[in-house]
Order: sequence, then C-alpha cells, then structure tokens
Amino acid sequence: MNDSILTFENIDKSFFGVPVLKDISFQLPRGQVLGLVGENGAGKSTLMNLVGGVVPLDSGRMLLDGNPYTPRGPSDASAAGVAFIHQELNLFTNLSIAENIFINGFPRFHWLPMLNRTAMRTQTRQFLDAVDLPVSPDTLVEKLSPGERQLAEIAKALSFNARLIIFDEPTTSLTARETERLFALIERLRSDGASIVYISHILTDVMRLADEIVVLRDGEVVGHGRKEEFSVGRMISLMVGRDIQQLYPPRTAQATDRPALEVRGVSQPGIVDKIDFTLYKGETLGVFGLMGSGRTELARILFGMDGCEEGEIAIDGVVQSKLSPRHCIDTGLAFVTENRREEGLLMDISISNNIGLVALPHYASSTFTPLHEQRLNGQIDEVVGSLKIKVSDVRRQAVKTLSGGNQQKAVIGKWLLRNPQVLIVDEPTRGVDVGAKYEIYTILAQLAAEGTGVLFISSELDELMGVCDRILVMGNGEVQAIFSRSEFDKERILRAAFREQVTS
Amino acid sequence: MNTNRRTLQLVLQNTPYILFVVVFLIFGLLSPRFFTVQAAETILKQASYIGIVAVGMTFVILTGGIDLSVGSNMYVSAAVAGLLMQNLKAPVWLGLLVCLGVGVIFGLVNAFLITKLKIVPFIATLGTMVAGKGVGLLFSQSIQIPFPDSVLQLGSTRLFGIVPLPIVIFGLVVLAAHLVLTMTPIGRRIYAVGNDADAAQKAGLQVDRVLATVYIASGLLAALGGFVSVAQQGVVHPGFGEGYEFNAIAAVVLGGTSLFGGLGTVFPGTVLGAVLIQMIQTGLIFTKVDIYMQPLITAAIILFAILLDAFRNTQLQKLRRRNIRTDKDIAAGAVSSA
Amino acid sequence: MTEANVSKSQISPVHSVRGAQTNGWARVQQVLRRLLLSEYFVLYLSIIYFLMLWPFIPRIASPQNLGNIFSNMWPLLAVAIGQTFVLIVAGIDLSQSSIMALVSVIGAAIMTTQLDPVLFEKSPLWGVLYTATGSPLAGTLLALPVALLAMMGVGALIGLWNGTAVARLKTPPFMVTLVGMMFFSAAAIYLTKSENIIHLPDAYIALGQGQISFVPYSFFIVGALAIAAQWLLSRTVLGRWFYAVGTNMRTAIVSGVPVTRVIITAYVLSGFFAAVGSIFYSARLAAGRPTLGSSLLLDVVGATVIGGTSLMGGKGKILWTVFGVLFFVLLDNSLNLLNLSFFWVQIVKGSVILLAAGLDVARTRLTARS
Repeated sequence: MNDSILTFENIDKSFFGVPVLKDISFQLPRGQVLGLVGENGAGKSTLMNLVGGVVPLDSGRMLLDGNPYTPRGPSDASAAGVAFIHQELNLFTNLSIAENIFINGFPRFHWLPMLNRTAMRTQTRQFLDAVDLPVSPDTLVEKLSPGERQLAEIAKALSFNARLIIFDEPTTSLTARETERLFALIERLRSDGASIVYISHILTDVMRLADEIVVLRDGEVVGHGRKEEFSVGRMISLMVGRDIQQLYPPRTAQATDRPALEVRGVSQPGIVDKIDFTLYKGETLGVFGLMGSGRTELARILFGMDGCEEGEIAIDGVVQSKLSPRHCIDTGLAFVTENRREEGLLMDISISNNIGLVALPHYASSTFTPLHEQRLNGQIDEVVGSLKIKVSDVRRQAVKTLSGGNQQKAVIGKWLLRNPQVLIVDEPTRGVDVGAKYEIYTILAQLAAEGTGVLFISSELDELMGVCDRILVMGNGEVQAIFSRSEFDKERILRAAFREQVTS
Repeated sequence: MNTNRRTLQLVLQNTPYILFVVVFLIFGLLSPRFFTVQAAETILKQASYIGIVAVGMTFVILTGGIDLSVGSNMYVSAAVAGLLMQNLKAPVWLGLLVCLGVGVIFGLVNAFLITKLKIVPFIATLGTMVAGKGVGLLFSQSIQIPFPDSVLQLGSTRLFGIVPLPIVIFGLVVLAAHLVLTMTPIGRRIYAVGNDADAAQKAGLQVDRVLATVYIASGLLAALGGFVSVAQQGVVHPGFGEGYEFNAIAAVVLGGTSLFGGLGTVFPGTVLGAVLIQMIQTGLIFTKVDIYMQPLITAAIILFAILLDAFRNTQLQKLRRRNIRTDKDIAAGAVSSA
Repeated sequence: MTEANVSKSQISPVHSVRGAQTNGWARVQQVLRRLLLSEYFVLYLSIIYFLMLWPFIPRIASPQNLGNIFSNMWPLLAVAIGQTFVLIVAGIDLSQSSIMALVSVIGAAIMTTQLDPVLFEKSPLWGVLYTATGSPLAGTLLALPVALLAMMGVGALIGLWNGTAVARLKTPPFMVTLVGMMFFSAAAIYLTKSENIIHLPDAYIALGQGQISFVPYSFFIVGALAIAAQWLLSRTVLGRWFYAVGTNMRTAIVSGVPVTRVIITAYVLSGFFAAVGSIFYSARLAAGRPTLGSSLLLDVVGATVIGGTSLMGGKGKILWTVFGVLFFVLLDNSLNLLNLSFFWVQIVKGSVILLAAGLDVARTRLTARS
C-alpha cells in the first residue's frame, strides 16, 4: 500500500453550488485494479473526470507518482500517461483506427509534415494485437461494433503508454462474449504493470476484477480496502448507507387485472425482437436490462418516437393505429425520458412553462386562440404543490436553477396535468440525491394507487426490487424473463439479464 | 440485406458521378458542339478559378462551417493587387503576393470572429462579406482597375504550349490540397473536427487552431482564384466576385462534400463539382437558353444538391443509430467475413 | 469552457488584492451587465446614438427628418417581424429579400394598366398575365384586392416551401434559404426581363405614400400586425410552441409539440410578412421591381438580432424587434445625412451585423452564467 500511483488529497468539487465531492482523500495502488463503486450521483464519474482533465477541481490536490498533478485538459492527462475510456466512446467514425489512435500526434515521414502511414500501420497492428482485435489498422471506425470500438479505444490508450487507465462502465454496450474478452485484457494490462480504475455498478464484475475497492456515497469515501474485506452485500450496504427497507416507500397500490398497456410482438430489426407483455392498471412493472439491452429503445418505440416494423400496441384496450408522441399523449401515455436536460426540460425556460408544455392544447380552444392562463396556472400550482417542488418563483424562475431532484419532479409534473393512463419512466432517479429518490418513488406509488400503470425502466436492480410488482428483464433486444414479486431474486434476475440459463 | 436499400446507398454514395454523366449527356445531345475538345478546354479553363476557390471552401465545409466572404475577398484582393501593379508599377510577383496577403487577412478576420468571438460561421462571414466589399470599393472608388498586360499574357500562357496556365494552377492547388487532406496531420484533424467537434475537444485536439487554419486557407485560395480569374479577363470591375460564393459552395456540395461536415474530398469531389457547375453554365450558353433563365436553372440544380445532401445525412444518421446486434447478426457477420 | 474557468479562478485572487478598486470595477461590471441584458438596451443605444449625433448634424432632429425616420420604420418592421418568428424557432430566413422582389413583381403585373411592348414583349408573362394594356383586371375594382391577396399568398407559399425543406427534409435553414434567395430573385428578374413594372393604380400607391396628418398608413397596418404578432407569441398555444421548439427541439418532440408544423408555420409567417413589407416598399416606389429589397437582407437580420432575438433560438420578442428596427433606420438615416458614400454604408452595416451577433453571444453567455 505504500506504493501508489495517484494520491487524492482533500478533493472538493461542486456543480452549480451543489457539492458533488466532499473532502476526498485516498490512494490508487500501483499496478493493481481499483474498483470504484457507488450509486449514480455518488461522484464516481466526477472524480475520474478530475483525473482525466475533463473538469478542474475546486480545492485539494492530486499527486501523480508523488508529483503535483494538475491537468488543464484531456491532452495534459494523456501526456501524463492517464487514459480515460469513457462510457460514450470518443472516436471519430469517419477516420480509420490508425488515424484515431494517432490523432493527437501523428508519426511524421522524416522531416516532412506528412503522415508516416507505414509506421502508423505497424504500430497500430501491435496495439490491436495487444487488445486482441484482429482487423486492419485502416478499417474505418464506423464499420466496427460497439465492443470492437471499445477495444480500439483501449488500443489508443496503449499508444501513449498509459500507466493509469480508467474504465467508466465499460461493459454497458458489450455482449457477454465481448465482456469476457475485455476482462481478460484488463488482467493482461495489469500483469504488464498498468494501474487500472474500474468503475461499474455491476458489483460481481468488480469483485472479480479488483484488487482494492473504494466505495463512494454522496461524494464521500465510505469504504476502502482490499477486495477480501468486501462482499457484494457489504458494498451495497455501504453504497446505500442504510437498510434497504427504509429506502422505498410502503407499497399501497394494488395491481388490478384490467390492462393499461398491451404490447404484442413488437419488433424492429436490430433494435428489439418480438416484445410481448401487459401492464395492468395500478401496477408498477419494472424493466431491467444492461445498457444496450434495448430497454430505452423499447420505451421510445412505445411512445411513437421511433418506428417499429411489426407488432401491436394497445392503450386502455384501444389498439394504436398510428404512433407519434402527440397521438400517444392524447391516448393517455406519458414518458419521462432518461436524460432530462436533453429531452425532458427546456432548461432556460420557467418552471411554469415547462410543466404546462404537454397540456397546453387543452387550455385553449385552438392553437391560435388565447390560453386560459388562469386555469392553466392554477393547475400548475396545484401540481407544484402536490409534488413539493422547492421553488421561489414558479412563473419566472428558470428550471435549470433547480436541483436535480426538483428538476426530475418538474418533468413528472408536466405529465400529471394530463392524468396519464400509462406512465413510462426511464431512469427517473439518475443524478438525484437519496432524499429526492424517496420522494420520486412515493409520487410514482401514489400514481399507481390512483390506477395509473407505471412502466419503470432502470439499470438499478435494487430500486426495481424495492418498488415494482413485477420485473421484466430485457437482454439482446428480447424479453428474457418476467419475475413476479415473490420470485424476486437478485442473482436470478441478473443471470437473466446476462442471458445465462435461468435455473429454477 | 435489402436490395432497395443497397441501391439507394450506392446511388447516394456516387451522386457526383451520376450527376456529372447525366448533365454531360444532356447538354451533349442538345448541342453536339459540347463534345469537342475545344469545349472541354473552355469549360476546364473557366472552371479553374472557381475550382480554386471551391477547394478552399471544401476545407471550411469539411469542418461543418461555411465561408460566404470568398466573393468579396476575390474582389478586394484583386483590386488591391491591381492598384499596386497599375499605380505603383509593382512587379507581378509582388502584386500576387500582396493579393494573397489580403486573402489571408480576410481569413484571419473570419477565424477571429468564429473562434474567439464564437459567432456562427454564416453570420460572421456574411458580415465580412458586406463590410469587406465596402472596404474594397473604398480602395477602388468603384472604378474599374485594369491588370497590366504582363499578367494578361500569363493568363493565356500554355505550359509546354499545350495546357493553359490557369488549368495548371488549378491542378497544382488540387494536388496540394488533396495531399494536405489525406496525408498530413492537420488534414486528418479537419475530418475529425467535422465528424464531432465536441469529441475532438475532449480528445485534446486544438479545435480552434484547426478552424482558424481552414478559414485562412479559404481566404488564401479565394484570393488566388480571384487573381487567376482577373488574369484571364484583364480588369477588376466593381461587380467582380459577386455571387461567386454560391458557385464555390455549389461546386463543393455537388462534389459530394456534406454541409454537415466530416465527409467529402477535394479530389475527385470538388474537382468534379467545379467542372460540373461550369459545364452547366457553359452548356446553357451553348444550348442558347434565355440568359434570364440561366440563373434559375443553376439555382435549381444547387438546391437539388443541397436537398440530396440533407437526405443523405438523415439516412446516415439512421444507419448510425445504436443498433443492438443480436446473436443472429453476429453469426451472419462471422459467416460473411469468413 | 474549462479553460475559461481555470483562468478565472487564477485571476480572482489578484483582484481581491486590489481591494477597493475591485468593488468599483465589480459595480461597473454589474451595471454593464444589467444594461446588456436589459430589454431596452437597444432603445437606450438608439437614444444615445441620436443625442451624440445631434450636435454634429442638427438636421437629424428637424421635424421633417424625424417624420422620415418614423415613416421608414414600418415597412422594415413588417419584414423583421417575420424574421423574428423564424429566429425564435432557431432558424433563419435569408430568402425574405427575394420574396419581396418576386412578390412585388407579381402584384404589379396583376395591377398594371399599361406596359411598354418593347420592354416586356419577351417576358414570359406577356400574353399570360398582361399585355400592352396591362392585365385583364387592370382598372377594375378587383385588381387591388386580387393583387394584394396574390402577393401575400405567394409570400406564404414560398415560406411553406422553406419551412418544409427545413422541418421535413432537414436541410440547414441558412443554406436552403440562401439558395432560395438566389432562385426567387432570379425568378423575379426572369419574369420581367429585369424591368420595373409601373403604371400601378393610385389606391395601391396611396398605401405606401398616404398619410393621415403626418402618420403614414403603414404605421396603422404594421402596428396592428405587430400587436397581433406579439399577442400570438405571448398568449397562444402556438406562441409557447415556437419558444419550446427553438429552445430544445428534442424536449418539444417528447412533449407532444407538433414540431414540423410549428417550424413550417414560422417560415410561412416569415414569407407572409416579407410580402406585407414588399407591398409598402413597392407602393412607395410606385413600381414592381425585380431587385426590390436586395439590399435589405442585412438590415432585417441585423435589426432583429441586435434587438435581442437570439440566433440560437428560443428567445425573442416583437417589441425588441421594434427597437432593433428603430436603431437600424436611425443608423441608415444618419449615414445618409452624413453623406457617406455607399462603401462606408456597407462597411458600417457589415460591422453592425457582426456587432449584433457578438452581442447575442455575449448575452447568451451572461444569462448562462447567472
């Protein structure tokens, strides 16, 4: 433990006045794999963004090999031998693998300002061999699969002799086979002397790979030690910080036997395949799947945003003749998307106008006639009150000034004005603190109790097990299994998600 | 997987060639004179100066930007060079050098507005287009400026007695630009920035420097194109350069370079586009189409190219959308690649 | 952004050392900032500009000149209102000037009572819309209303095309409207063989030149349209949708806003208002002119943007555009009075549009920071 590659000393970081990292101090062991775990919003990615030079820190300092380390940008980080493999890969699809690898410093042809293609090819081939990717260095990146792109990105890290490689949720879009390949590669990198940070919320993976584990909660280190000191259970209780039972509101809703949403044989080539399920009124149906399993894609198809070639969707018993968001909304569907900044809210516009947006046409006799503003505002105020959105001026305050949890409540709020039959929520608690999570669960439970069918999509299994009546598991664009509450078992659900044989 | 889709993709990838052949055949059938060597030479010679400007424009458009100021740039740089050579009896090489210098200044101003003040390219270059033209007219006092005869002679010189000099210069510019784009670090980085400027920033590329380079290159080449053009015509008249930005943009887009950035070539792309646009204009003259009708047809063809580009872009985006590869696909892929 | 943050954190300790000076500077900064973000910024700017010029060109404050400024505002405002809609949905319409030209030609062709065969015989409309004695409707009571309807209708139709290309075909707005400008102005020239169409009915000319005491007709009509436009933006569902689409198209789609229709409507309004502007401009000239408005493009975009409507979409008000138009008309007027040559006018206007765009960027950054 006395040999560390990177040391954090009293690191603080906040965004928009909200502290994300509080007084973080620990050391990364050299030549080993450190597993970094924590709930969404615990600060894992932010901490690693500091290391990768993506964002600057507020106070505290980092030491790399004992020397102060202050990257002013990603290029400083790579110059210092720190590679950051982001969840969203950073490759240029219109260039070849070799060009991507050398984009920051091409080998020159003698003294000419020309690329030395031969050198690029030979070196790239070496790196590709090292990551076990048997394709030509001249292959365009757009021709690679997600898993292959990941390997190309790692090859890039190898090209600048990265001593410290950070993986942020690297397996989310990989198939099981590709994941195995990646793990073997990580083992190999470690035995070659590289230090590795592995961020994931698939805890079994972390247990398998890591030598040491750090657990973050609400921006603080709450656990740090050798792998042997941890179990998956201990990691979870550290991450959550309290007993699971308290984390979710009591379930008052009673699922009925009247279907709210029926999905029959929905298929779209390359996206989802023969999806069949029924969501009942008053039911909360969880949808679990790893990223790339098709869960978000399915929601977008149900809401009419992306087309589907086959299949039938019925809302409240009525088969949908045409699928478009407007039409779906009119028939009682509501959709809280996974990224509220990009698709949920108009960040620069007032809370009032955000919440009113969906229901607008119902507060005027036509598009060109005046809005019944008083009636609309009355409804908005009611929703703001019932959701307990903390706000000083509903009419004028821009929604971006709210905290994450309150923003999310505003997104839910804009659908409540329409009393939806079916509410689809995609990762509703992402980037939301623990207290606000509880409130969001309560709101959703309340809606279910009033008879709304809730389709709850999440990558956090604990959350789904805490709030759902049933859990549908997706993998590879297909429904892998559906578990009812009495059958909830973490391991079995995860196995289904990984498409391993479910043994009953 | 689907023949219709394949055909569509093939057509979209090869529109420049298809358009080229179709236009060539149509005019050729309407006017047999079109098929002569003479006609080919005229077209190439006239395509050369707009082609040079279009090469610079290609650099800009590859980054997803636009340069509307090239027409004004051509006027100002040629006017200044003309004044210098005419009034101060400056030698031709100095005239050319100053001309290029003025072009670079244009590029620098655009680069400053776009990278430092973060003004969107089309507004920034719209501003320099108008203000720049004003500056040029201020210098020239709206009077025609003749170029000395020595330049005119240069304009009609033939290399080895065969190839007209303007075509040679165009060829050299194309060769140089092609090498830069395909063989040098900056060239590959231009494509990277055009593909995804945010990712480029994250990857540690100096995006601003890449952008500055393309606008300066565009300024330089616009000035050179202006000089080559005036060397053929002999005088810089006050309307010189007006609307040339359209022809340059049209040449680039017709050559298959995408207005959305990251996709396109100087050779063969922009060369084909420049010849194509000139072919259309010469063809309209050969076939004696009403002169008031000609700009209408040209505009319609450019419009067509732009719509096609937009269509191709949406198709590409559809293809790029994240696909979950099912085991079936993977198996099929393994079979087909084996 | 990251670099800016770093440098800021490096600078601030230096400032705090300077103590008292910092407070003064901070206050100045704050005042400047508030001024820049104020709704009335451009109005203040216009007043200051006016007062500054007054001592040098006293004529600027003569009743006759003030009357000129006042009556010059309204036709330009009509066109700029249309541009405001398009900018709010994060688009731009560079084809407005060509719409004005084409529409003026069409309207004049319907109304004209007499044409010179030497000039017009070869025009494609000869024998179709008009002959030497003007159009079939010439002199009848129908001529004026039919012409006006045709003008506004054609303007709206061109807007429909632009909007469709942008919203459905996903073409970049500036590109499709730029090429549209090329096409429609070429069409206007083609239709008339580059000649002006004169001999228009008096009632039409009165629209552009008539006054009630010193107030031009255009004031009442464009004023009413401006109020209607502002009402549409601030009071109706459609208005809210315009802002939503311009602020974040993806959120708007998820929220059930009919994005395609909203964008198309904005361009249709832009075409319609360009046609209204064209009516006043061509009536003032007493002619349909195929190059009408060709120098107005910068004035329209410049006035709208400097008024405070953002090029990035989602932000704009008709009142702001009124101030922006006032500024541009004042600028134009003063450049005229200063007897500046055409080149200077171009240099100034080119710089002003850059200034407007720079201001827009500065404002956006300031609001993002607060």
